[in-house]
Amino acid sequence: MRFDGRVALVTGGSRGIGRAIVESLAAEGAKVAFVYASNASAAEELVKSIESSGGTVLGIQADVRKKADADRAVDQVVETFGKIDILVNNAGIVRDTLVATMPEEKWRDVIETNLNSVYNFCHAVMRPMMSARYGRIVNMSSVAARMSNQGQAAYAASKGGIESFTKCLAVEVAKRGITVNAVAPGFIVTDMTEAVRSAAEDKILKEIPTKRLGQTSDIANAVLFLADEKTSYITGDVITVDGGLTLGGL
Amino acid sequence: MTRDEIFEKVQQTLVDALGVDDDEVTPEATLSGDLGAESIDYLDIVFRLEKNFGIKIPRGELFPENLSTGDGGFVKDGVVTPEGVAELKKRMPHADVDSFAADPKVENIQELFTVNMIVKFLEKKLS
Repeated sequence: MRFDGRVALVTGGSRGIGRAIVESLAAEGAKVAFVYASNASAAEELVKSIESSGGTVLGIQADVRKKADADRAVDQVVETFGKIDILVNNAGIVRDTLVATMPEEKWRDVIETNLNSVYNFCHAVMRPMMSARYGRIVNMSSVAARMSNQGQAAYAASKGGIESFTKCLAVEVAKRGITVNAVAPGFIVTDMTEAVRSAAEDKILKEIPTKRLGQTSDIANAVLFLADEKTSYITGDVITVDGGLTLGGL
Repeated sequence: MTRDEIFEKVQQTLVDALGVDDDEVTPEATLSGDLGAESIDYLDIVFRLEKNFGIKIPRGELFPENLSTGDGGFVKDGVVTPEGVAELKKRMPHADVDSFAADPKVENIQELFTVNMIVKFLEKKLS
């Protein structure tokens, strides 16, 4: 299979897009570890589901905002599976609020969970990936990084930060056989977008040229493409997976 | 471990980390100028030395950081001041700072980082 012998770590892996990525990687032969924040029952259910299909999976509870947790999670993956080839920084939250009414905790929560976690895990995998002279890092951005949605200042800033971080790190480690890219999803059907969808799905669909919302599998496909060994000449790039939403066509 | 044994292991480490030929890795070779090391390579070299010698090298101990950008008055008009030279001696006892002091231009700091410097550092560390 495409990812036979590969070891992957996916943050925010028990639900939504992360879960689809974990399932897709496992289905393609990778040994997959995933980090989840608190939903142990969802994590257990995912482990059982993958194991019953013959896959190899490891669930790790960790707070992605904490550097020590990221280091521990990466150590656990290397101890369990012997190495780490693929890192998908997918963990993310939305706390949409107008800046004028945004309490500091919300700002910090979004930046720490979405952006600082990317540093935490990328830094943690540098040693094993550099030693192996191989790595595929895929960071989850969002079309929000390039749109100007009211109430999304923190979310957009975190995703814009991820894209800039992705490009800098890509240059730093290119010589080491490590690629670093990002995927920017548009409107994807997940728990995270449920509130927005229920309020404005028709309006959103009008803006999407393909006239459908994205599925988590659409994002997983792009992530697996970038995580593939064969995709060695694409680095520092952001693949937009939004059905044409941000093309600005009429 | 003898000095020759340390050198051979360092040589192999640098061949692996920098993709150079072993005959290029002479004791006098500078990591940046002669062996083409870039900043990320220094980190990789430390990782590999730790693994190959089974030791821990605290960050900044072998390759001190921010040698020329500190605000300690160590650099003036592109030249390392006597205070700066003294600081270099303190932070890099394994380097040949006296030779550097003969022409202490900031851009010459890189020449302190030689293969021999790594060997000396490891000799002390392993003793």
